[in-house]
Amino acid sequence: MNYSDLFRATLPETALEIAALLVLVVDLGFLRKAALQIRTTVAAVIGVGGCIAAVSAVYAAGWAGFSAGSDLLLAAGGSAGVAQVAILVLTALTLLLLVDSAFTRNAGEYVSVVLMAAAGGLIISAAQDLLVIFVGLELLSLGLYILTAFNKQSGKSAEAAIKYYLFGGMSAAFLLFGFSYLYGLSGSTSLPKVVLGTYMASANGGAPLLYIALVMIAAGLGFKIAAFPFHLWAPDTYEGAPAPAAAFIASVSKVASFALLISISHAILWWPAMLHLKGGGVTFTVFPAGTPQPPVTVGFVTIWPMILMDLSVLSMVFGNLAALAQSSVRRLLAYSAIAHAGYILLGLAFFSWTNASAQAILYYSVTYGLTTIGAFGVVGVVERATGSDKLDSFLGLHKRNPLLAAVLLVLFLSLAGIPPFVGFWAKFNLFATVLNGGWYGFFKGPLSSLPAEALTLVAVAIAFSAVSLYYYLQVLKRAYVMPAGDESPIRVHPVTLAVLLLIGAAVLVLGCFPALLQNWIASFYPAM
Amino acid sequence: MIEQSAAFTPQFAASSIARNLWLIPAVPMVASGIIALLKQPQRKLASTLAIGSLGFSLLLSFIAFAHVLRGWAHGSVVRETVSFTWLQFGHSAVDLGWVLDPLAAVMLVMVSFVGLLIFIYSVGYMAHDENFTRFFCFLSLFAGAMLGVVISNSLLLLFMCWEIVGLTSYLLIGFWYQKPAAAAAAKKAFITTRFGDIFFFLGIVWLFSQTGTLLFYNHGIGSLEPLSLAVLVTQHAGLGLSAAGAIGLLIFAGAVGKSGQLPLHVWLPDAMEGPTPVSALIHAATMVAAGVFLVARVYPLMAAGAPIMSIGAQPGGTSVALTVVTWVGAATAVFAALIAVAQNDIKRILAYSTVSQLGYMMAGLGLGGVAVGMFHLITHAFFKALLFLGAGSVIHGCHEEQDIRRMGGLKVDMPLTFITYAIGMLALCGFPIFFSGFWSKDGILEAAQHSSVIKGPFYLLVFGALLTAFYMTRQVCYVFLGYWRGPKPAYESPMVMTLPLVILAFFAMALGLIGTPAWPWFHAFLEGRAAEFSVHSLIEPGFLLLMATSSLVVFLGLGFGWRLYGEKSPKPEQPDALEKSVPWLWAPLRDRLYVDEFYGVTVIAFYAWWGRVADWIDRRVWGGIVALVAWIFALWAQLNRLLDINWVDGGFDKTCEELSEGGGLLASLQSGRVQNYLRILAVAVVALAVILFWSSRP
Repeated sequence: MNYSDLFRATLPETALEIAALLVLVVDLGFLRKAALQIRTTVAAVIGVGGCIAAVSAVYAAGWAGFSAGSDLLLAAGGSAGVAQVAILVLTALTLLLLVDSAFTRNAGEYVSVVLMAAAGGLIISAAQDLLVIFVGLELLSLGLYILTAFNKQSGKSAEAAIKYYLFGGMSAAFLLFGFSYLYGLSGSTSLPKVVLGTYMASANGGAPLLYIALVMIAAGLGFKIAAFPFHLWAPDTYEGAPAPAAAFIASVSKVASFALLISISHAILWWPAMLHLKGGGVTFTVFPAGTPQPPVTVGFVTIWPMILMDLSVLSMVFGNLAALAQSSVRRLLAYSAIAHAGYILLGLAFFSWTNASAQAILYYSVTYGLTTIGAFGVVGVVERATGSDKLDSFLGLHKRNPLLAAVLLVLFLSLAGIPPFVGFWAKFNLFATVLNGGWYGFFKGPLSSLPAEALTLVAVAIAFSAVSLYYYLQVLKRAYVMPAGDESPIRVHPVTLAVLLLIGAAVLVLGCFPALLQNWIASFYPAM
Repeated sequence: MIEQSAAFTPQFAASSIARNLWLIPAVPMVASGIIALLKQPQRKLASTLAIGSLGFSLLLSFIAFAHVLRGWAHGSVVRETVSFTWLQFGHSAVDLGWVLDPLAAVMLVMVSFVGLLIFIYSVGYMAHDENFTRFFCFLSLFAGAMLGVVISNSLLLLFMCWEIVGLTSYLLIGFWYQKPAAAAAAKKAFITTRFGDIFFFLGIVWLFSQTGTLLFYNHGIGSLEPLSLAVLVTQHAGLGLSAAGAIGLLIFAGAVGKSGQLPLHVWLPDAMEGPTPVSALIHAATMVAAGVFLVARVYPLMAAGAPIMSIGAQPGGTSVALTVVTWVGAATAVFAALIAVAQNDIKRILAYSTVSQLGYMMAGLGLGGVAVGMFHLITHAFFKALLFLGAGSVIHGCHEEQDIRRMGGLKVDMPLTFITYAIGMLALCGFPIFFSGFWSKDGILEAAQHSSVIKGPFYLLVFGALLTAFYMTRQVCYVFLGYWRGPKPAYESPMVMTLPLVILAFFAMALGLIGTPAWPWFHAFLEGRAAEFSVHSLIEPGFLLLMATSSLVVFLGLGFGWRLYGEKSPKPEQPDALEKSVPWLWAPLRDRLYVDEFYGVTVIAFYAWWGRVADWIDRRVWGGIVALVAWIFALWAQLNRLLDINWVDGGFDKTCEELSEGGGLLASLQSGRVQNYLRILAVAVVALAVILFWSSRP
C-alpha cells in the first residue's frame, strides 16, 4: 500500500471532490446575493470544469491502477477507463442541462452532490474489491437519493426520493449480505480471489451458500440497473425527480453499474481465460495436481450467467410491455430503461473472455446514456412549456419548435434501434457478440449456453425491440403527425438547445460512422 | 507504373488533394442540407449556395485532374486511395474509401463542369417556379451523390451514392408532382432502376463473400486487383461463367437499370416529364452515364479471364461478361434509334437518342475497353447536355410547347439557339472531322470492326449511326426550318440560358481533338500510356476506309432526312412523311415497339395478380391469426381485471388500513405502495433462489 499510488489512482475522483467543494465555497461564499440564474450558471460551469479536469486525470492515470499487497483494488484503463470518461462526459452534459432549470434555489448544492455521486460512479467502474465496490455504490446511491428529492416544492419529488431510498436501502442490505457470504466462502474480498475461492468452497459442499449469495448480489445490482423484478423504484423516481437529476440517474448511474458488472464478469472469466490462453484447450482444471477432478464444478461461471439470463428476459419482456401502456413520457422512458437493461444483461449473460463483449456492452450503455440525457432534456423543456409530461403535451412539437422535434426524432429512433442512428449499431454489436458465443458455452454443465439458446434470446430481444418501436412512435406521432391545439412556439434556452443539438448530432454522426466510437473504446484496451 | 496509396490515418503518403477528395461530393451535399432549411422566398441564396458549392467542387476537380495529369506527364499512373474502416464485426470489416485515378479525374471534371453549366441555366429556366429552392436542394444533393459515385473506392460506398442518385432522380422527375404523368414517371424510374439494383446488390454481397473486401484498390488486396481476380476467375459459377464474370454481370444489371439499356430502358423516355435542366443533367449527361462509368470502374472484373484488350486493334478473345455487355449495348443502340425516328415530342426524341448513345458506350466498353467507351461518354455528355438545354430553350421560347409539329422556322426567332443546337445535332450524328461525336463514335466502330470474334455488333452500330443522322435531321427540320406553326410567336431565351449553350457548343466541337487516332491523348491518359502524335495512323488505309464508310452513312442519313422533311413544315394534322411512305413500319415505332404494353400484360399483370393473392392471404389467414391473438389477450385482460379487483385491490386496501393504523410519515404519501415494493423485492429474491436451485439440481 502506497499513498502516493492511491492518490495517483484516485486523481479523477479527487478532482471531482475538489470541484464539488469549490462549487459550495463559491456559491455560498461569494454569490449569496447574486441572481439565481448567475448562481446556477456559475455552479454548472465549475462542475463542468471539474469533469474536464477529471477526464484529463483519467487519461493521465495510464494503466497503473491501485493495489494493496497483491490484490488489485482499483483498475485503470480498459473498461474502467472507458466507463470513467463516459461518466464524466455524461455528467458534464447533465450539468449543462441545469443551466435553465428553476426547480431549485440551491444550485451549488445540487452540483456538488452530482459531482460526489459521479465520484462514486468512477469508483465502482474501477473497483475490483467487494468493499470498495460497496463503498462506491453507497457513495453513488446516496447522492442519487438526494438529487431525486431536490425539488422541494414538489410532493412527487419527495415521494419518489423516499421510495427510492427505502428500496435502495433494502437492496444495499441484500448486497452486503451477499458479499458477506462470499467473503465467508472464499476468505477474500478481492474479486479474482473470491471467484477462485468459491470454486474451492462449492466443491466442498458450499454451493447452496453460493447460490444464495449470488441471488442477493443480483438483487443489489439489479436495483442499480433497474432490472425486473428490482425495477419498482424506477418509474416513480423517473417521474418525480427533477429532469436533470432523472437524466443523471438514467445515464451516469447506469453506465457505472454496467461497468461494475463488466468487472465482475471479467473477474469470473479471468481464471478460465488464463487457462484457455495458456493451454489452448477447454478442459477446466484449476485444482492442484492430485485432487480428483469433479465433473462439473458449481461456481460463478455456471450460476451467474443463469441469473443474468433470467433477469434479462424478464426485463426485456416486462419493460417493453409495460411501456406500451404509459401515458407519461417519463414513465415510458423508465420502462424503456428496464427493457434496455434487459438487452445489456443479455450481453453480460453471454460474456466472452475476449474484449469484444465488454466493448459492445460499453458501446451500448454509453450511447444509451447519451441518448437518454437528450431525451430527458427534451422532456424537461416540453414539461416546462406545457406543465406536464403526458404524451399529449408533445402534440404539434414540430410546429412549436422544429429543432426540438428533430432532436426528439433522432433520439427516439436511436433508442428504438433504427439505422442510421447509433442505437442501431449498439444493438447490432451487442447481439453480434452474444451470437458469437461467450466463454460460458465451454462449460457443458446443466447451465451451458448453447448457441441455440443465444439465438433464441437474441430473437426475443429483436422481437421486443420491434415492440418498443410502437411506444417510441407514439411520442413521435404526437410530435409530428397528429393535429395540435396549441401551436405557440416553445422557447428553448440557448445552452440547452446547444446541448440537445450536440447530442442529436453525435447520435447521428456516430451512427453514420460506427467505427469512430468502436475505435475510441478499443483504444483503452491493451492490444491483445 | 507507380501506385501510391494511403490509409485514413496517413501512414502512407497521399497527396493532399487525394486526402481531401471527399470534399468534392461533401460540399454540394452540405449545401443541399442548408438549402433544405431555407424558406421558400430565399431564392437568390439557394441558387447562390448551389452554384457556389458546385463551383468549389469544380475547382477541386480541376486541381485533382491537374494532379493526375502531372503524374501522367511524369510517366506514372496515379492511383491514390484513401480508405478507412467504416464498421467492424467479428473478424470482418467493411472499409470505405475514395480513389483518385485518371478515370475518376476525368469524370469529376465532366460532371462538375456540365453540372455547373446546368445549374446556371436552371436559374433562368426555373425562374418562375414557386418551388425554386426545393429544386436547387435536390439538384445539389444529386450533384454531390453523383460526384460520390465517381470517387468511390468501395463498391458499397458507390452503391450508397448510387442509391442517393436514384432517389434524387425520383424527386426531380416528379418535381412537378401535381402532374399525374410526372408522378407516374418518377415512380416508374424509381421502380425500374430498383429492379436492376437488386442484382447489383446481389453482386456486391457475392463479391464480399468471395474476396472479403469491397474496396476496388487497396495495396494489392482490393477486389479489382490481380490477387482477388485470380481467385474469382478460378471459381465456376455455372453456365460457363467464372465467379468474376457472374459478379460482373450482376453488377452490369445495375448499370442496365441506371443507363436505360434493354430491357430496362422504359423509364428513361418517361423521365422527360421532369424539368428540362433535370433531363439535361440527369438523363443525358451524368446519371445515366453512371451505369457506363460503373462498368468502366469494374472493368477488370468483367474482363477477367480474357486477354486484356487495349484500344481497338488487338483481335483476341473476350470474356463472356464483355460479350453480353457488347450485345446488349449494340441492340439497345439500334432499338432506341428506331423508336426515336417516330416520336413527336422534342425531349422524347432526345431521350431515345440518349438510350441509343448509351448503347454505343456499352458496346464501346465491351469491344474496345475502358477508354473507347469513356471517350464517347465524355463527348456525349457535352453534346447531349447541349441538345437538351437547347431543347429547353426552344420549349421555353415556344411557351412550354413540346410537340415538334407545332414548331418550325425557329432559326429566325431563336438564332443563337439554332446555331448551337445545330452544332449539337451534327456532333450527335457524327458529322466528319469537326465534331467530337465523329471521333468518339468512330473509335467504337473501329473497335467493333476489329473484333474478330463477333461481327454482328459492327453492322448494328453502323445501322444505328444511319438512323441517328436521320432522326436528328427530321427533328431539326421540324423545329428550326420551314415556317412557324404555333399560336403565339416564339422568342429567344435570356442570356443566362444561352451562355451555357455557347460554352457547351464549343466543347461539342473541340473535345474531338483529344481523341483522334492521330493523337489519342484521352485513351493514353486513361490507360496510362504516353500519347504519341502520328498522322500515320490516321491515313492508314483500313482506317481511312472506315472513316469513309461512317461519313457516308452519316451523309446518307442526313440526305434521307432532308429529302423527306426539308423545308416542308407539315401541319400537325398531316401524317408524317415517313408515315405516308411506310405506314406499316410507322405505327409500331410510334408506339415504342410495344415494350411498355408488353410489360403491362406480363410483369405488371403478374404483380397485380400476386398483390391480390397476398391481399387475400393477409385478410383471411394472417388477419384471422391476429384476431385470434387479440381475442386471447382480451380474455387474459378480463382475467387480470378479475384478479385485480378481487386480489390486488384487496391487498391494497389492506395495506392502506395498516398505514392509516400506523400513521406516520408515509400516510401522507399518495399511496403506501412502497411496502409492497419491498415485499416484492424480498419475494423476488426468494423466487430467484428457488428457480436457481430447481433448475441446477443435478
